[in-house]
Amino acid sequence: MKKILLACSSGMSTSLLVTKMEEEAAKRGEEVKIWAVAQDKAEHDMEEADVLLIGPQMRFMKKKFAVTAEKVGIPLDVIDPVAYGRVDGAAVLNKAFDLIEQG
Amino acid sequence: MNKFMSVLEDILLPIADKLNNNRYLTALRNGFMVALPLIIFGSIFVVIANLPFLDRLIGEEAYATYQNALGPASAATLSIMGLFVIIGIGFKMVEQRGGEAIYGGVVALASFLVLTPQILEETAGVIPTSALGAEGMFLGIFTAFISAELYQLFVRKNLTIKMPAGVPDAVSRSFSALIPITLTLSIFLLIRIAFSFTAFETVQNFIYTLIQQPLTALGSGLPATIIAVLLIQVFWFFGLHGQIIINSVFDPIWYSLNEQNLSAFQAGEPLPNIVTKQFMDTFIVGIGGSGMTLAVIAAIFVVTKSRQLRELGKLGGPAGIFNVNEPVIFGLPIIMNPLVIIPWLLAPVIVAIVTYFAMDLGFAPKPAGLIVPWTTPALLSGYLATGNNIMGAVMQLINMAIVFVIWLPFLKVLDNQYYREEQSVQATA
Repeated sequence: MKKILLACSSGMSTSLLVTKMEEEAAKRGEEVKIWAVAQDKAEHDMEEADVLLIGPQMRFMKKKFAVTAEKVGIPLDVIDPVAYGRVDGAAVLNKAFDLIEQG
Repeated sequence: MNKFMSVLEDILLPIADKLNNNRYLTALRNGFMVALPLIIFGSIFVVIANLPFLDRLIGEEAYATYQNALGPASAATLSIMGLFVIIGIGFKMVEQRGGEAIYGGVVALASFLVLTPQILEETAGVIPTSALGAEGMFLGIFTAFISAELYQLFVRKNLTIKMPAGVPDAVSRSFSALIPITLTLSIFLLIRIAFSFTAFETVQNFIYTLIQQPLTALGSGLPATIIAVLLIQVFWFFGLHGQIIINSVFDPIWYSLNEQNLSAFQAGEPLPNIVTKQFMDTFIVGIGGSGMTLAVIAAIFVVTKSRQLRELGKLGGPAGIFNVNEPVIFGLPIIMNPLVIIPWLLAPVIVAIVTYFAMDLGFAPKPAGLIVPWTTPALLSGYLATGNNIMGAVMQLINMAIVFVIWLPFLKVLDNQYYREEQSVQATA
């Protein structure tokens, strides 16, 4: 099972993405756990995740999150703004899987 | 244009990074988050205690009894919100560094109480609740910062009592906090005593007069508000979360102004401030999210014919009702889009000015000081934020109309552009 953590300012707009990504994963028959949190909870939840994706509006948090991510040993990146705006579950899911594979 | 934008982004990104990752501002923001559920609990009961027409329905006397019965709900939370913010900040300051956070919370609270006047009109043993609300807000924030830092400094200096091996861990931990807390609180006691010899008499009075009053006076004015609104919009234009960045600086001011209005509202006096936390959250941001994009979505449904924009309207509409607008900001897109920069920057500023004068002239009611969750849909939020006043919702409706009109020509241009692209793609296919 792949565990994908999304973080934005309050976990609201990323939670829109969660639904779309879950739909896409179900379509592909992939087993996933996807959840969205507010930025102050992200570091705590990273321990349970395989990858962290950050909402583009919070991209200035990447540097800070990278420290914890390295400690926990998971990859992280900022979600592409276009995919974010379209709430494109497939594109973001692909990105998450790529990151997990690359480690 | 592109080069100019990338230069601007190079300037803004480090600012956002600094403001958002600064240790103190992070603790401040997260400290307010700790207090927020309590603040909202209190606000709900202010709303229930001030239901419209109830006094006429059940009679003046029964209404007074009813209000008295509900009073403690907000008196114990909203009116003394400073206390919870202080505990939250102290806690978060120590938590960030991996220390025992609860001690950060209590040392901040105790330091603040040491500095707080404990006498009211010659009655000793009394802490005026006003000192724990708006008036004590700034003192509380500074005290929480300083006390948490001092506590951690003394812990780092290893000024702790070392217990011999064999003593249960919990026991030695309870002692380990003893010396750092004693030293920290002693310093604050000395500060209190020192100030009692000055003309200010209390530290609270000193901070209030020299820092809080000038800052809130500045923050309650229209110019500072316009600057804050513009900065939020500019940050968002570059796809950076404007509110979270600007709020971490303005929240102490906006919440203090809010508290002043709340005490006036509950006392039935005229409300002193127009600009408050809720002025921003309800009338400037809370109409679909930053930039009041609910009006933009409405405009999309009314005038656009391109598939791209209509799809965006369907996608962004439901979220926009609850003031989540990332789909619109990134999907329209608003970020880095020179076509919409004018309405994006202009509309909220015009709305801020119109709302300010509408409230100043008494056309619309001023925010009553209660905090409405930011996800509350527009119109309902305006009604609640002004203390159950329908004119609050009317003001929001007017604001929506203003945004709608300002956006219309620019949206048309964008729509035509998308529409032509779609037609030409279809033609070649």
